[in-house]
Amino acid sequence: MNLRVVGANLVVSVKSFYREKTTMFFTIAFPILLILVFGTIFMSQDNVSFHLYVQDLDHTNSSAHLVKTLKLNGKFKITNVDPAVNATQYVRDNKVNLVLIIPKDYEKSLNQSIEFDDPNASVTITYVYDPSSSSVTMKMQILNSVFAYINQGLSGKSPFITTAETSILTKKYRFIEFFIPGIIAMAVMTASLFGTVNVNTELRQKGVIRKLSTTPITRTDWILSNILYQFILAVISTIAMLLVSYAVFNVSLQINAWLPVFIVLDVFTFVGIGMILTRFAKEAQSAAAAANAIMFPMMFLSGSFFPIEMMPGFLQTLARILPLYYVNEGLRASMVFADHRTALSYSAIIGVFAAVVFILGIIATQWEEGK
Amino acid sequence: MTKEAEHAIEVEKLTKRYGDLLAVNGISFNVRKGEVFALLGPNGAGKTTTVEIIDTIRTPTSGKVTLLGMDVTKKKHDIVPRIGVLPQGFSSFDRITVRETLQYYSRLFSCMNTDIDGLIELVNLKDKTKEQYKNLSGGLKQRLGIAIALVNDPEVVFLDEPTTGLDPRARREVWEVLLGLKKKGKTVFLTTHYMEEAELLADTVAIISKGKIIAMGSPGELIENNVNYLALTLQSVDEKAFEIVRKMGFEPVLDSHKDIKVRVEHTDDVQKILNAIKDAGASFLSLDVRKPNLEEVFLKLTGEALHEGPAGGRGAE
Repeated sequence: MNLRVVGANLVVSVKSFYREKTTMFFTIAFPILLILVFGTIFMSQDNVSFHLYVQDLDHTNSSAHLVKTLKLNGKFKITNVDPAVNATQYVRDNKVNLVLIIPKDYEKSLNQSIEFDDPNASVTITYVYDPSSSSVTMKMQILNSVFAYINQGLSGKSPFITTAETSILTKKYRFIEFFIPGIIAMAVMTASLFGTVNVNTELRQKGVIRKLSTTPITRTDWILSNILYQFILAVISTIAMLLVSYAVFNVSLQINAWLPVFIVLDVFTFVGIGMILTRFAKEAQSAAAAANAIMFPMMFLSGSFFPIEMMPGFLQTLARILPLYYVNEGLRASMVFADHRTALSYSAIIGVFAAVVFILGIIATQWEEGK
Repeated sequence: MTKEAEHAIEVEKLTKRYGDLLAVNGISFNVRKGEVFALLGPNGAGKTTTVEIIDTIRTPTSGKVTLLGMDVTKKKHDIVPRIGVLPQGFSSFDRITVRETLQYYSRLFSCMNTDIDGLIELVNLKDKTKEQYKNLSGGLKQRLGIAIALVNDPEVVFLDEPTTGLDPRARREVWEVLLGLKKKGKTVFLTTHYMEEAELLADTVAIISKGKIIAMGSPGELIENNVNYLALTLQSVDEKAFEIVRKMGFEPVLDSHKDIKVRVEHTDDVQKILNAIKDAGASFLSLDVRKPNLEEVFLKLTGEALHEGPAGGRGAE
């Protein structure tokens, strides 16, 4: 190994990166955009509110009070619907997903229940809804819980089952804090995998590798300089993502020694996979397609964007055999939970995987022309 | 002087197979130190395979190749720092400038004292030093490729089709650079399918066809030994002149421009034909007497014409 040669190669790679704006965008700006978009979505989920259309057919103080109670819940912005219109037609015509109908005689039934303690007195609130809407189920669930609370209050009894929340974390974390480690792992994977596949396939196709094989640079020098280059990119993009996360979302994360450890393992794993793909892909386009075929399942199934608990059982099993899952969870264990034992065990798993694919990648890398 | 000291390259019964395809078929030749050696042949003849075996890119199926006294299959590590290679279809890093590219390759060879400015001047790229590789024209790229092949001040330079795909002007510019190398006394191994390139630059030409060397020598020797005639062309000749020449025992050909083309063995024959035409009262506008070239040598030896393939055709031959 010749450090002067490795250094020369590194300088060329960094200069090429700096001068290639598209690569810069996908390496640094794209993950930051993802953080901004998803961060904004997740932040607003904490204060989610729905439009609720209410048709009050009773028009009494009691029905007005019910509407006020729904408003005070904080989850709904109320819009009154003219009692004269047909609610079903209103839903269709106005593209709303639900109209809540307070029936005539609501106040009368309510009084019968309260004043005469009539156990048979009841009232039916009707939801006229569009089942094709994705948010209507959640809206009805919130309404049902509000009505259950009112019913329980009317009964005059204390609730038998109450709930208490005890977080395993000493501090309350937001979803964005769980999200950032996943995005870091994904961005490093994407840059390492595509960087290796694209650069090597393109250089091989253009004949640059053939020219290099007539110089003293060895396969080891070449691979080492590629690894160092990918590590530099990973560090730059991680710093950029963390700075944006702190500045825009004021995240609270633990930055400790596990972060560079997992970045190094992430780089080795996906540079190794990239080297293997480069060996078998004859052209840049087929190499990119092969990289996509590996990257997309990894991105969506390994828990970078969504917790794997949201997935069906077999997909959860599949997720646990994907290397990115262990980088995601390892980074979360260290950055969110400060759980060093879990970080250690996940780093060991991904470390073994990285070593295996990297060695296979070295073996697969074809430096000279065919025998 | 011993053979090893005299020869930069010794090739003995070299064979290369790609599956069922026999690309190089037991060829043998030597290249003297300080000479420009051209391997001339059409696309697919085996030129690139041969040069890539000698410059250590490929390995032979059988045979022995010695470069600077070392076996190319065993001493690549020792050979590479002493040679410079312009591979077929040379390319470099798109976003790196001319000067940076030369500095990069100089570092790969751990050359501390490479005269980058001198190389840039040699290949006439002084006004392009800050230009990125992707912005260079085909001719400029090839000239940069030649400069790269020289960063380590190599003892032997391999240039695999250095002018293929270039326009005539760019080709002549590359020839100027190669003539500069010849003046410096470098051993140059050149492959080409342009006969005028081989004729202009090479001290020794080996003609290769279908993996075999079919003739070798200086351009003059090849022509002298294989096509010993003069080509006489008479333009705008009276029709009766054709009959006069034919009756003299020659085999004239009337081309589409009504010019008479005839091959003669001696300059005396030219005079005899001209006198006969003059005596018959026939006239002609002009005449051209030309020695045959390597193209005709190749045509005679193989029955095929040398011609340029598609510019992009860069596969190993």
